[in-house]
Amino acid sequence: MDEGTFARAAEEYAGRLYAVARRLLGNRADAEDAVQRALLKAFAARASYSPRWAVSTWLYRVLANVCIDELRRRRTRDGAAEALRAGGGGRGRVERLDLERALAAVPREARVLLALRYVDGLSHRELAAIRGISVNTVKSQLARGKAIVRQTLEGGDDGQD
Amino acid sequence: MDRIDAMLREFFAPAAPPGLGARLGAALRAARTAARALDRSFRVEATARGVRRLVPGTGVGADSPAARRHAARARAELAEYLAGRRTFFAVPLDLAGLPSFQRRVLAAARRIPFGATASYAELARRIGRPRAARAVGNALGANPVPVLVPCHRVVRGDGTWGPYAFGGAMKTALLRLERTTPALIGCTSTRIVCRRGCAHEQRVREAHRVVFASVADARSVGYRACRVCRPARAA
Repeated sequence: MDEGTFARAAEEYAGRLYAVARRLLGNRADAEDAVQRALLKAFAARASYSPRWAVSTWLYRVLANVCIDELRRRRTRDGAAEALRAGGGGRGRVERLDLERALAAVPREARVLLALRYVDGLSHRELAAIRGISVNTVKSQLARGKAIVRQTLEGGDDGQD
Repeated sequence: MDRIDAMLREFFAPAAPPGLGARLGAALRAARTAARALDRSFRVEATARGVRRLVPGTGVGADSPAARRHAARARAELAEYLAGRRTFFAVPLDLAGLPSFQRRVLAAARRIPFGATASYAELARRIGRPRAARAVGNALGANPVPVLVPCHRVVRGDGTWGPYAFGGAMKTALLRLERTTPALIGCTSTRIVCRRGCAHEQRVREAHRVVFASVADARSVGYRACRVCRPARAA
């Protein structure tokens, strides 16, 4: 991939990469830092990019790698205090806080998949490629993550899916 | 599509802060010109039991074939570490000549995970001497094997650096290096998770690399831990 193609792809996806990082890491500074690091890594490794992948799949892979390592560092730093912090925005603020709290209860791997799924509507197959796991694992992780969100929000009294 | 789906979709809606694109572009341009120069001039001294001293300088001090092997291995591991390809040191150390208090402090410092930091007071608590933060600082200051025993991961309670044998700039560089080097790597074709620096991990192709935050996370999505570097033990 040449530099021009890379720069265009980076520009096209910067917003979505940022959205994933922001929701996983909880604040703007860390999210921007993560996107920047991910793009630098992707740029440095662009020779190893395989054209049978969509560019977005590859960029999301690199971003997820950066964000997950950041979450690992937080875990070792201060136990379970990696909860997502409140974002801005006045509308629906209470609902938003509830959702953040509910997402914080979702295990890391499932949370990463949820973020990728809902930011860009990625398919199960793409998610499987991004994290290097099977499509069935993607499905079960997403279902489990959503079930935990639902349970936390609704007190677990809703059986439908 | 149900209510939870709708909520999640709205929650994850992209909203980039203004100027993000320009800042990223500038960072990309800067990275192409930036020189990644870490000071690599270490002098390694070893005995037949392991590495005894690591000091600024060059060359090797070793008086037996076993000692030379340890010194060579330390050098190779340090080069990988500084290149961001290693997150742990497997070369044996020889700290036998040190006072027992200092040995305990160094042992506690070795247990601070790659990429993490702890304060002097925290380390003092961990060795059961909560009031000995200053003595801990002195013991670390006299660390004969910096980097191999990661005293650079110990910082002041207020987050500023303490003194460092190789200078404050080196401490900053090491902490930054650790911040940008992932520790647990999974291979998407073998579904095995390794510590960065494991011989198996070093053979994983770039396109097959995924990062995990813990071995438990990796297991939850179908990966197993490497039997050589045993990442679960280190975490």
